[in-house]
This record gives sequence, structure tokens and C-alpha cells, in this order.
Amino acid sequence: MSKSEKKIVLKSLDNEAFEVEKAVALQSQTIWVMCEDKCVGNEIPLENVTGQILAKVIDYCKKHAVVDGDGDESSEELKNWDTEFTKNMDQSTLFNMILAANYLNIKSLLNLTCQAVADKTKTIDEFHTFLNIENNFTPEEEAQICQENLWAFDD
Amino acid sequence: MMKRGVKTLDSIPIDLFLEIFSRLPSKSIARFRCVSKLWGSMLHLPYFTEMFLTRSWARPRLLIILQGCSEYSVFSSPQLQNPYGKSSSSLVVVSADFHVKFSRDMWSTEFCGITSGLIYFSSMRISEKNGGDAVRHVIFNPRTKQNATLPKLTKDGVKRISVLGFDPIDKQFKRMCINGVLYYISKIFCRPHNEKFYVIVCFDVRSESFKFIEVEECIYYATLINYKGKLGGIRTEYDGDSNTLELCLWVLEDVEKHQWSKYVYILKDDEFVEVCFLNVAGVTTAGEIVLSMRCTSTTFYVFYFNPEKTLSNMLKSE
Repeated sequence: MSKSEKKIVLKSLDNEAFEVEKAVALQSQTIWVMCEDKCVGNEIPLENVTGQILAKVIDYCKKHAVVDGDGDESSEELKNWDTEFTKNMDQSTLFNMILAANYLNIKSLLNLTCQAVADKTKTIDEFHTFLNIENNFTPEEEAQICQENLWAFDD
Repeated sequence: MMKRGVKTLDSIPIDLFLEIFSRLPSKSIARFRCVSKLWGSMLHLPYFTEMFLTRSWARPRLLIILQGCSEYSVFSSPQLQNPYGKSSSSLVVVSADFHVKFSRDMWSTEFCGITSGLIYFSSMRISEKNGGDAVRHVIFNPRTKQNATLPKLTKDGVKRISVLGFDPIDKQFKRMCINGVLYYISKIFCRPHNEKFYVIVCFDVRSESFKFIEVEECIYYATLINYKGKLGGIRTEYDGDSNTLELCLWVLEDVEKHQWSKYVYILKDDEFVEVCFLNVAGVTTAGEIVLSMRCTSTTFYVFYFNPEKTLSNMLKSE
């Protein structure tokens, strides 16, 4: 395999190009299928992902391509890296990461980002602000449904 | 900022939301069911329940029931994924979630089974509408504090023991009303010479059929366990002279050929634990044997023993 074949170019929605190692990009099942089918050249257009998000996805894939397959200690380190990775992302970035991970079909990244959103959405208030949802129960309905789920409100 | 968020939200398919919510604790799900009609129905979809259960089974917890003078207290704590430190023995402090306390008067006998976080009481005293008391079979969920009363059984004079079984295919709980349990050990006498046989009786909850496995006498005195999906037996014996605890583990490797493997481990006192006070509490999904203190006052210790790595670990709950 020549040197150029080891690299691949990913192009974002806003036409930003990223040259990455094939091993890094192939963590995405979507890209893997595209490469298998040989329906694309060395440049892969990703129509659903912006450059800003794609850069983050590539960061993630790079980290995971390097460390995968090593011993226990690095898996611990990888876990810490994952935590730091999502820690300071705002809601909009997190949701865009979920969409990107889903589109690119990177299971571990989807798992990580979904878990990050779930961790930030445990109370009703968080749920309302995070998802911008309005309560459309009538007071009677609300009283009844809360009664049915009483155990969830006891602290 | 808010606007941008809303725009992103609209583009997220419902499947991805359910993907997110399936990672929440059950308490949050119950709360969010009260948020709006749409979310109320969404979080009741069988497809969502399925997804949620798959995830929660992937992070099993230890259910701890402490018996006090006049009451039982129910706690749960996460099963540690990799509880071992660098040394062969280490101490981890975890917090256990308290769920519920109930009076010992309410139950005339002990519990008859714990499956998937549900406790089955074969004789629970409940007050009836007419003011009197009745003893009924009840399945209790310590997390939601909800219980379900089962229909009365007809009495035919035979002493019965009932246990709770779970059918993983149809996702139904079934109660068995037989002289034993799901997997139980039994002694059989054969006439005319009264030869003794020890068998493990397997009751398939799904097909409701029985199977018998003949075993050695030593297994008869063991506690049956689920060792990484295989049937196992475990037995401890304390040796006062050497102050060690011998742990015998049998694993049924081949159900058809009735092939067992046997492992013996010797546990010694260390800085945290005196082996003479240990009881086998169960086995984690990863195959670690969980031992617990027989008695406790303020701090409750759980002891993990990994037969494969011969590593052990203490888990401390207060």
C-alpha cells in the first residue's frame, strides 16, 4: 500500500477538508462502507456534518485509533480522556455530536455523547431547559400521572 | 443560544432521544413521564422499555437486605466493573442507595426469591378492605415501592414452597408452586433398597418442563449459583485450626454430559476481613463471588472474590 492510499480526505458540509489516516476514519462504519464499495475516490463528502463538529469527531477517532488494543492502563486513560472530551461541550455541540456519531455510525462515540446528555438531564428542570418542552397536561391529568409515579419524587 | 439549541433539537430524530433516555436512571424516566403528553406516551413505548431494560441489565447492581431487630432495610449499590486495585486486596468505599424499610411483622417467613430486583414474599400480611388481615403472595419492587398481589392458591394439604422465576423470552414473571425452586437440589430414595441419589432438578420456566441432573453428595450441601451463565454450586467451610475459609466451587460445564469442574480456594484473614464471619451472598455477572458479613452494626462490608484472578476486594457501604 502506498503512502497516499493510507490517507483519506473528509470533506465537511461547509467544504472544510480534513486529511486523516485511513485507520482513523474507518472507525466510522459509514465511511468504511463507502470505502468498501469503492464508490468514492480518496475524498469523501460528508453532507451532514459541519467542519467544527467533524474536527471534534476526528479528534475522538484519532485518540481511539492510537490507544485501542493496548493494556488495561491505557483503557483507564482513554476513559478519562472521554470524560474530559465531553465535559465542557454545550448542549448544541453535544446534540450535533450525537447526530454526527449517528450519521457516521461510530457506536462508541454515540454511546459516549448520549451518556453525556443523559448525565446532564436528570431532573425535571434540566429536562425542560435542555429539551425546551412545554407541559401540556391539564392540572387533573398532571396530578394523576404524578400520583402514579410518586416514588420518583420522594427526594 | 436558546434558538440555536431549539433548531438542533428539531433535527434530532425521536430514536436518538430514546437512545439518550435509555441511559437515564429509572427515577428520571418516571419523572419525565409526567412532563408532557408526548413524552409520557413516548417513554411508555414497549420499544423504549426494551431498550431501557437491555441497558440496565448491562449495569447490574447488588441488592442488599439488612435484617434489623424489628425491620428489614433494602439498599442497592452498583456492582463494581473492575474493583481491583494494584494490590491483591483493596478497599473501595461506595455509597449504597437506600430504598425502603419494612417491618418484620409484615412477613411471617423469609423472602422466597429475588429476581431482577423484585422480591417475592410467599406470605405477606396485608390488610383487607373488611378490616381484617390476609396472608397473600406478593411481588414487591423495592425501587418503586409498588407491589402486586398474586391470586390465591388452592390448598391440597401438600407442603408447598413457591419461588419466582423469570422467562427472558416472553418477559413474563411466573410463579412456580412446587416443592422446591427453579434449580434445586433434591435427595431421592429408590425402593426396594432405599438407595440414595442426589439430583439437581431444573425447571424450565418457559416450557414448564423438568430435567434432572444426578450429582455427588458434596454438591447436595452447596448453594446453587449462576456462574457466568452456567449452573454452579458453592460451599464454604471454616477451618478453626488454621483460621482459613475453604471455598469450593463446582461449575456445570456441559449440561448434556453432566460434566462438572471443581475449584477450591483458601481465603485467609487480611487487614479488612475476618474470614470466619463471611457468608456467600451470590455471584456477579462477571463471575466474582460476593461474600458478605453475617452481622453488621454501622458499616456493611461486601467482599468480592474473583476466582480467575484470585484477587479479592472489599466494598464498604455505610
